[in-house]
Amino acid sequence: MTTGNATTSAAEFDPALEADLARLIVGALSLEIAAEDIAPEAPLFGEGLGLDSIDALELSLAISKAYGVQLRSDDERNHRIFASLRGLAAHVARHRAR
Amino acid sequence: MAGATLNPPEDLPLDLPLDPPGWTRAPERGSIFWLRVMIGITGALGWRAGHLLLFPITAYFLAFSPRQRAAARQFLGRALGRPAGFAALWRLYFSFAASILDRVWLASGRTAGFEITVHGLEALRQRMAAGQGCLLFGAHLGSFEALRAVADAGCPVDVAVLMHEANAARVKAVFDALGGAGRAASVIPLGAPESMLRVREVLECGGLVGLLADRAPPGQRLQRVEFLGHPAPLPTGPHVLAAMLGVPVMLAFGIRLGPRRYAVHFEPFAERIGGGGRVGRDAAVAASVVQYAARLEAMARAHPDNWFNFYAFWQEGQP
Repeated sequence: MTTGNATTSAAEFDPALEADLARLIVGALSLEIAAEDIAPEAPLFGEGLGLDSIDALELSLAISKAYGVQLRSDDERNHRIFASLRGLAAHVARHRAR
Repeated sequence: MAGATLNPPEDLPLDLPLDPPGWTRAPERGSIFWLRVMIGITGALGWRAGHLLLFPITAYFLAFSPRQRAAARQFLGRALGRPAGFAALWRLYFSFAASILDRVWLASGRTAGFEITVHGLEALRQRMAAGQGCLLFGAHLGSFEALRAVADAGCPVDVAVLMHEANAARVKAVFDALGGAGRAASVIPLGAPESMLRVREVLECGGLVGLLADRAPPGQRLQRVEFLGHPAPLPTGPHVLAAMLGVPVMLAFGIRLGPRRYAVHFEPFAERIGGGGRVGRDAAVAASVVQYAARLEAMARAHPDNWFNFYAFWQEGQP
């Protein structure tokens, strides 16, 4: 089942997980926006949400705790994983233990 | 040399990024240029020839860098507690130029002829033996290279240095010019989302990660704290990082005392910053930045000619 979407296959797309993750991002980083306001395809780092690498670390600790999924610096998919909420959700969906 | 721009001194190749208003990018090429000149001359004629070259270079830098000179004068005035005269400025500029020359040797591990005394090595060894990794906070005070020469010599654990990507490229250029290899591999470039993940991974293997914690470029997390009697913006990022990872922090300075004479200081700074959780972390970080500023101030007062922040450090008028 191909979708033409370069970042995520349809099988990995999970709106409920994205919503969960959005809440986790807002909570873990004490952001002053509502979770629903994070656009799934918008950049998380630099532009868009404007997170930095310290936020990435904080986020990785929270994701590890909540889903048992590790973010690693040497993952060759990192540019996708950190690209957007959708990319992050796809990574968590692939590797989640709980 | 036709086409080469001769520029005033800027930060050293191992430095963190800096782009405050009024700071031009051009001088970065200047420092690489001079480094190449020195590598060429000292490679052919030895350290003494390079050392002689420092006098005209220092004079040149002093004469043609009015903005940096004004910044240096402001720092020296505040550090010395009186208006800085020509002698103090000369010492600072000469020391800066000399540390670039010495880097050519130190970076390639040729420490013969150097007198490097080390303080606090036992404390650092204990940290390494504990196996939980350690962050080393340095500053643009003296030579980070002298520090690495010590840390690398027989160091049983990985040593990595966190620095801006553009500077990492400059470091690579230096190592290429030296014909060396390998060392640049332990640079962790800042600016990528995964930068701090890499720091965590090195620390988890019991490694040391060094970073310079005194410069706060605009857009970075910063806090204004009292430094030499005036509020200066210092980055909070290094302290947040330490708090988040729950790792110990040591301070590290490689102070240039004279020709080929350095004193390297390692000193315990914090067992851990904050209690581990998010509760109270902001307060712990804020207190830690104040504590760092106090130590930096003491070192800067003791060694004003090692202050290699040639820009308006206090960034007065900025938010």
